[in-house]
Amino acid sequence: MNDRIGVGIRQNTWLQAWAQRSQTQKYIFLLIAIVPAFGGYLLFTLYPNLVSVYYSLLNWDGISTPKFVGFENYINLLQDRYVWRALSHNAVLMIFVPALVILFSLLLAYLLTNKSYKGVGVLKVLFFFPNVLSSVVIALLWAFIYDGSFGLLNSLLRLVGIEIGDFYWIGNTDTALWAIIPPSVWGGVGLYVVIFSNAMITIPKSLYESAILEGANHMTRLFKITIPLIMPIIRVSVLFLTLGALKGFENVLVLTNGGPAGSTDVIGLYMFNLAFGKEFHNYGYASAIGMFLFVFLVIVKLVTDKLFANRSSEY
Amino acid sequence: MAERRTAVDFIWWGILIAFSITILFPIMWILYESLKTNREFFQDVWSLPEVWMWSNYVKAWDKFHVGSAALNTAYYVGLSLIISVSLTTMNAYALTRITFKGRKLIWGIIMLSLFLPGLTALIPQYVLMRELNLTNSLTGLIILDSFGESAFYLMLLGGFMQSLPKELEESGFMDGASLYRVFLQIIVPLALPGIVTVAIFKFLELYNNFLGPFIYLSDQSKYTMAVNMYHANSMMQYSADWVTLFAGVMITLAPSVVFYMLFQRSIMEGATLGAVKG
Repeated sequence: MNDRIGVGIRQNTWLQAWAQRSQTQKYIFLLIAIVPAFGGYLLFTLYPNLVSVYYSLLNWDGISTPKFVGFENYINLLQDRYVWRALSHNAVLMIFVPALVILFSLLLAYLLTNKSYKGVGVLKVLFFFPNVLSSVVIALLWAFIYDGSFGLLNSLLRLVGIEIGDFYWIGNTDTALWAIIPPSVWGGVGLYVVIFSNAMITIPKSLYESAILEGANHMTRLFKITIPLIMPIIRVSVLFLTLGALKGFENVLVLTNGGPAGSTDVIGLYMFNLAFGKEFHNYGYASAIGMFLFVFLVIVKLVTDKLFANRSSEY
Repeated sequence: MAERRTAVDFIWWGILIAFSITILFPIMWILYESLKTNREFFQDVWSLPEVWMWSNYVKAWDKFHVGSAALNTAYYVGLSLIISVSLTTMNAYALTRITFKGRKLIWGIIMLSLFLPGLTALIPQYVLMRELNLTNSLTGLIILDSFGESAFYLMLLGGFMQSLPKELEESGFMDGASLYRVFLQIIVPLALPGIVTVAIFKFLELYNNFLGPFIYLSDQSKYTMAVNMYHANSMMQYSADWVTLFAGVMITLAPSVVFYMLFQRSIMEGATLGAVKG
């Protein structure tokens, strides 16, 4: 009897010690696992995001003493024609980049999945390739393509007998904005080809077979079967691309830095140059533009959601 | 159901081929021109070079200080990759498999990052880094890019870890193994495919990172590959040395090509994860 109690006590203390030890281990592990990463997140992500609201109420060049100006920056930006000019450039990109990317990738993905061509795998790998390149490399490649004297585009045009002289595609205010579109399409299509063809593979073959029996051609099948069935994924993709065209500016920064004469300036770049550009800095005004852009992003998201309402079909 | 090949089929086939050429041709063209002399390039962009100028690559390496940029990139990418992937792995384990007070709160605060403006944070972040004396420093950039939480990677790895059976850990604890042992010898090996996916994407993110190095690094001796090539191109206005610049761009592009060839399958699978989840 005594013996058994003794064993029980011994077991109990052993269990307690074990529990204590594992408790200590747990807290040390949590300390190592969470504190550095979460602390870094609080310091380098959350704090700057929150404090940028306050920055937007300042008049500050980043060096001298900041001056609190209330909503003055917001009032100024509504009257700043450079803001609206930049947004109009964004609007062009937001219409053409998503439209072209979706169009090309739907067509290519359909061809890759529904026509049993040889080498489909290789083509997908090839199409996707630009997605692993940095924006600098893509922009530089296209700067070489667009060069007036020695660029690939003009050389090709000369080769087929079209002589347009030394036309600088990104040095001309009429063409520069349009020249921003092809690099974005070139760099983006591959990802959506892979996404769409992965979705298309899941559509049962029997659906197409009965359509073929009823004499539906490829176009009918694409528009009546394939697209409706993968509509949820198209919707998400449109949203991604539209938001990307609104907030992205790295490619423009490298390709033209907004020039010539501001003809390719986009809102993100305008803000970025106000904060980090070569000319004068205004951290407060730049932050206000950033906040304004954020509100715009939310609006675009809501509008895109409405325009492409969830009309998914099921089989 | 086999369909007959028709003339229309060739048109569709042609579209696929045309698009492949569009992807490949600009890169091939730069490679081709990078092997000529400047004189040959200026005279006729299509002409074959008399001698294949592999020496352009040696020249680009010296002229653009690619050696130091490569070392800087290796230091920045390597260290950031090790720190951030280890932290993400431990974090994912702690937040999905260990119960502790405040876990839900921490998870919620991390998920908040999905709804932040982001772009505006660049400015206060810069001011903060300046106050911490971490600007114009690769180590500063490493700290900025490795200590943090990525909601996306956490969800990816956390999901992976949640799918592992609980009994595995329990049997480990029964055998008297410590939490660290269980984590390192049971969890990490089982979650390895997920960890590798995160590492691959983190690598691409870091190697291709332009904005961070562009904002924070002002000395040429500290440039990483991407930002180095950007500045090299800006300097080109003052010297018409095209072929060397082409060689420089090809050198910057080469690691991406090799990396893509090695991990092509994982990259393509992983890239679609993000979009499907939205």
